[in-house]
Amino acid sequence: MNILLSTAAAIAFLVLVLALHRRFRSREPDEIWQGPKCATNLCIGHWVDLSECIFNPADARWLREELAFPQLARDLELQRRRLAIHWLRALRASFNQLVQTPDLVASGDENSAGHWRMLWLTFRFNGLILYALAMVGLFGPYHRLVPSFSWLPLPGHGEPRFRRPAMADSRGPR
Amino acid sequence: MHTTGIIVSVLAFLLDGLLVWRGSRNGLLRSFPLFYSYLVYAFCGSLCLYFIYWFAPQKYPSAYWIYFLVTILAEFMVLVEVSDQIFRPYPAIRHLGRAMTILISVGFGLFYILPAVVWSNYIDTAMFSFALRASITKVVILAGLFYLSHRFGSRLGKNVGGLMLGFSIYVAVGVALMANASAFGPSLYAQVFWVMVPLSFLLCLLVWTLSLWELVPAPVMRSPGVAARGESTHLTLELTRFNDELSRFLRK
Repeated sequence: MNILLSTAAAIAFLVLVLALHRRFRSREPDEIWQGPKCATNLCIGHWVDLSECIFNPADARWLREELAFPQLARDLELQRRRLAIHWLRALRASFNQLVQTPDLVASGDENSAGHWRMLWLTFRFNGLILYALAMVGLFGPYHRLVPSFSWLPLPGHGEPRFRRPAMADSRGPR
Repeated sequence: MHTTGIIVSVLAFLLDGLLVWRGSRNGLLRSFPLFYSYLVYAFCGSLCLYFIYWFAPQKYPSAYWIYFLVTILAEFMVLVEVSDQIFRPYPAIRHLGRAMTILISVGFGLFYILPAVVWSNYIDTAMFSFALRASITKVVILAGLFYLSHRFGSRLGKNVGGLMLGFSIYVAVGVALMANASAFGPSLYAQVFWVMVPLSFLLCLLVWTLSLWELVPAPVMRSPGVAARGESTHLTLELTRFNDELSRFLRK
């Protein structure tokens, strides 16, 4: 039984490898990058404003407490939950697009510490976004996330977060 | 069976030498240093075994087993090479494959391979368990590398794709053979399986020869963006900004 299982597993692995290999070969480079629709550049102020609108509970609270429309407030929360998940996925897609940017100039192993730091940032982001997606999917966009994993080290944290002038410029006239 | 084994083994030896020679001619030796180190090791090891076989046959069995066990460990070099090559064009995840390979190797080594060796009562059982579990670890690493390259949209290219395909064939056949050997014992291994291992290695070498005959640069997925065109500092800054934004969101 053990032999049969091992042999079957080996054959299945071979078939999987061949199938994946054929799939990789059959695709043209131009066809491959068709990931999910990405977020706009994070430097654009509208994008950050949008997240603040989505995750702000003031509208739902206003509907429920001041106008006394609890059903409408619930509908709004459901919509906001969908929007929040979409926003997080778009953020992840945008991050993946950045990660998949090839570096054709420096392809050697120089600056190894820098590459390990970037890998840590990639791991950190992917872990946190999975956590955020799970929490928003379960509890909605208006709950405080505990733990917030703020203790996870963020190398180079002294850098400015967003370019405020760029955000200000990107806002259209109101 | 004995003659077949010798023929297969000599063919693999010659093909190994051809690959090393070809690699030194077309520049692949510099691009895949760990892989060619492994090939040179296999070539020299086989040469030593032939000498021992002809000039000191009484020492051949012990020499064969030492070579066999060291080779199992040396084969991890191929995996490290593959893991380094897959994400080489992408600075943010350049070490992703290596990190995964090291983590799986250490984890499986400590909790899967080592216990089987330590708690075996007989040396034969211990050796076959070691070989089988090491092969399964390699399968897991290969599957992980295939998954990660698919997940991050890394295109393998002819050289790396062939390297992975050939090694996958060799490892998959190795798992089946070692499972049989540990089930039926070393006597069957001595009769049949010792021909099958060099045969699978010969098949693997054939795939490697076809795919590594010339240097084919791996195609990149996208044209280089403004953000990270050779500016790893800028890319680190962008990655930090994404993390910062997400952390800020989580703290709310």
